[in-house]
Amino acid sequence: MSKKKETNIFIIEDNKLFTLALKADIEATFTKTPIRIHSFETGEASMDLFKEVKPEIVILDYHLNSKHPDAADGIKILDWIKNEDEETNVIMLTSDDNIDVAVKSLHHGAADYVVKSETKFKKINYSLRNLIKMREARSEAKLYKRLAIGMFLCIAVLACGIIVVQIFMPALIR
Amino acid sequence: MTGEAETNPDKVCNLGYLAEMMGHKAHLIKGILDTFLTQVPEELRCINEAVEKSEYDVIRRYAHTMKSSVSILGIAALAPILKEMESLSVKEEKMDEIRGLCQKLNVLCEQAIAEIEIEKQNY
Repeated sequence: MSKKKETNIFIIEDNKLFTLALKADIEATFTKTPIRIHSFETGEASMDLFKEVKPEIVILDYHLNSKHPDAADGIKILDWIKNEDEETNVIMLTSDDNIDVAVKSLHHGAADYVVKSETKFKKINYSLRNLIKMREARSEAKLYKRLAIGMFLCIAVLACGIIVVQIFMPALIR
Repeated sequence: MTGEAETNPDKVCNLGYLAEMMGHKAHLIKGILDTFLTQVPEELRCINEAVEKSEYDVIRRYAHTMKSSVSILGIAALAPILKEMESLSVKEEKMDEIRGLCQKLNVLCEQAIAEIEIEKQNY
């Protein structure tokens, strides 16, 4: 069996306590999936490592300015992420009274949004599981496509070979 | 896990959710409690300072982030207070009401911090 590729997850959230709890919860939930979590207090702080790692999934809070008043909000960071790597899936976190942000984030290319309600961690994990499965399925589909193309090319080369032999060396196949 | 607000109405923290979320792993719970004890007093200090200076924007930002902090520790009594503080500071009105809410916030936070200091000894 092939070894599963590690999934890089970025958590961009300015509340350290929330990040710590979420990180522990994700690690406790995905014990059989190789994941690596990187956390940042602002989107700006994540940019250098983002370019290097190109994470598969980003969990992004909309409000990022509680301790850093000049920090860009989640929508601006989402736009930057999508511009940097269209393939990265973003889960936007929004507060319970801000459904407009949730809708806006989907329009800006977020894969999902989670309202910070009592069941937020369960919903984040559910969303993560779906995204990881989708990525695995997409990666398997790519592999099968390559295999199919490879087999087609082999058959084509073999057929060409037979035709060439039939034309130039017919005695060989009699 | 002890000290649940649901079973003991005198307590403000309900750590049942946290324990369940952390799979009852002591080192993880201790890490969260330690972070709470460092982070929340600092957030409280900043919000008190902002109320003193009538800085609506700072009150709004800290009330918002504190909602996340207290939800992790199951301090349900603080959620409506912080929500109201955030809402009033968005509208930039009723500073006297915000001051009253901030007093309640301080009392409940101090109680929560005291409870968590005791709870931490179990880990």
